[in-house]
Amino acid sequence: MKAYRSLLVVIAALAALPLAVPLLVGAGLFAGPNTFYNLMIFILIITLAAQGWNIAGGYGGQFSFGHAAFFGTGAYVQAVLQTRYGVNAWVALPLAALLGGLVGAAIGTLAFRARLRGSYFALVTLAFAEVFRILANATPITGGAAGTLVPLKIGLGQMQFASSTTFFYLALTFVAAVLLLNRALERSRFGAWLVAVRENEDAARALGVDTLKVKLKAITLSAAITAVAGALYTQKFLYIDANIAYGAWISVEALLAPIVGGIGTVLGPFIGAVALIGLGEAAKTAIHAVFGSAVPGVDLVVYGVLLIVVIAFAPRGLLGLFGKFDLFARFGIFGKRGGR
Amino acid sequence: MTAWTEPTRRSLLATGAAGAALLASPGLLRAQAPAVKLGILQPVTGALAQDGEYGRIGAQLAIDEINKAGGIKSLGGAMIEMVFGDARSNPEAGSQEVEKMHAEGVSAIVGGFASPICLAASQAASRYDIAYAVDVGVSDQIVSRGLKNTFRFGPGFGTVTRTAIENLVKLNDAAGKPAKTVVLVHEDGLFGSGLAKLMNERLSALGFQILETIAHPTPARDMSNVALRIRALNPDLVIPSSYYGEFVLLARTLQQQRIRPKGIYAVLNGAASNFRFVREFPDAANNVMDCNHWADPRKPKTAELRKQVEAMGRFWLYNVPLNYSSVRLVADAIDRAGSRDRVKIIEAMASSTFADHIMPYGPTKFENGQNVNAAPVNTQVQGGDIKVIFPDTFADAKPVFPVTG
Repeated sequence: MKAYRSLLVVIAALAALPLAVPLLVGAGLFAGPNTFYNLMIFILIITLAAQGWNIAGGYGGQFSFGHAAFFGTGAYVQAVLQTRYGVNAWVALPLAALLGGLVGAAIGTLAFRARLRGSYFALVTLAFAEVFRILANATPITGGAAGTLVPLKIGLGQMQFASSTTFFYLALTFVAAVLLLNRALERSRFGAWLVAVRENEDAARALGVDTLKVKLKAITLSAAITAVAGALYTQKFLYIDANIAYGAWISVEALLAPIVGGIGTVLGPFIGAVALIGLGEAAKTAIHAVFGSAVPGVDLVVYGVLLIVVIAFAPRGLLGLFGKFDLFARFGIFGKRGGR
Repeated sequence: MTAWTEPTRRSLLATGAAGAALLASPGLLRAQAPAVKLGILQPVTGALAQDGEYGRIGAQLAIDEINKAGGIKSLGGAMIEMVFGDARSNPEAGSQEVEKMHAEGVSAIVGGFASPICLAASQAASRYDIAYAVDVGVSDQIVSRGLKNTFRFGPGFGTVTRTAIENLVKLNDAAGKPAKTVVLVHEDGLFGSGLAKLMNERLSALGFQILETIAHPTPARDMSNVALRIRALNPDLVIPSSYYGEFVLLARTLQQQRIRPKGIYAVLNGAASNFRFVREFPDAANNVMDCNHWADPRKPKTAELRKQVEAMGRFWLYNVPLNYSSVRLVADAIDRAGSRDRVKIIEAMASSTFADHIMPYGPTKFENGQNVNAAPVNTQVQGGDIKVIFPDTFADAKPVFPVTG
């Protein structure tokens, strides 16, 4: 239980965030409560996608450049089941995770059986995501290039909420569940095998670890979690097309967040997503306050420079930086990192 | 702490003079009505930055003009204040900007440009009953969701393609039916794919022979293979539907390889009615036809606005008149509503019969949020200018078709 205590503290703090919203708005950091919730929901969706990536990429060392394939599958299953087959959104969500997991297993089987590692594996996943994007763009069931629009029907039964706070808690529930799952995974035999595969696959095999099975399990779980992020995206924005669902943007976000936050750590994806998206938003707000809307894009330049600074000074992610100064490790706030 | 000093004669005189001036000008003393905030949402960074920037210029020009003419009359001459949001060429940023605009208290929102951004942003605005005027977004899904707050001033995809096909048949018939065979070239996104499908069905039924349908991605770096295929098929007509870069590339490749079909008839093309293309590649652009949004050349305001835009060192793109007109449409609705109340503005938009715009539409009439009087026009690049060739009622040039030589 001790291992989970620090995580529960973080989760409780996140759940209590709405209490701080009036203060944040009052301090002028956000224009209004919903501006905050909208940003947080997007951060949580990206966190979930990144948490998925982190299982295969962070713990297992299988760097995928194509998690869009899973995100998109989740997003499309959620949308298409509702619009074409009249399936309820709450029923569609687990199915989205299931199908996402299956896609992960299929891509994993093909790639791992062909013994693709490192950059070859990354390239193959990238290619798969592109194939999915082109197929989704050309197939009638996905709405083709016109995309799929989920009708706006606000109601608990439709997983569409009048209040942004509700969606915030829904997204937080998933993120919290995966945080706990990750901690359990770190402490399990499977987690140890996964780290062993990352550190030295040949040595792990020599020690009797069934590396193919471990990697397959990891990518299936990873894909299912990222697919849930896709399904949540659909529910939040109610519209997806091939470029949103299977576009390279989400593959990049999913891997950048853990890399910036702390690869192979439980909280890395969340910290990274907060830093990346929060930084982008903060840069945009700050530049807007100084220059108005006269110079579009300057915020992106500032954002890019800050990103370079973060990576230059914290090559092991922001959590690594905290560890370096022994700030949180002393109090055991973030627990042990996944062996790296 | 400031030390109190005896007033000098000079300071007393100055204060007295200032006071007298204030008293003498009751008009200035009367409190200026608080500004009406209008959200302008455009993608000014990312892939759609060019379009977003031109949309913003159009909106800015309209706001400046309204303010110069005394603001919103029914609200005591309230000025319009632009609350600008960068949609960053993606729907998430678009809806986040709408949340910010809501927090800043905008009365209505104009813009979006791309269909996905318009879909997400108008939906976010619907939660707060903010009237949302779509500037360009042609996807017909935008006005089919039953959202009471969403209005589209311009024509949708269905109207544009129907008009394009009708005018193509008219054009061909008038020239003695020189075009029998067609090659469709399209980008594989919303415009291109949907259009190619419709064209395939409708043109075949109208007696045209579709030799081939060639899809290409956006961005595409090389169109030589597409051009070579067109050379091999030797069609009478090439119908391209692509974004700016790809069409410019295709037109230049066709020109370089001396592939000369009897006509290039574009629909909702990113370049064919774009002065940047015409100025930069006049030979490749010559005689290219397009069915697209275009300002009404008969209205004196059109030429005036175009002059203003060109004086800024910018090109005359359809985004400018569409946004200019959309902002004026919303300002008219606010004026008629006589209130900043969002629901009243939505009601005023729905009953709008606004005619003081520069698009060739006549007075607006909204049915389920779509302006049913909106229509595209056919243009053709002729001698370094973009001329209107259809509809006949205000065409300023005769079509050059078939192109010879």
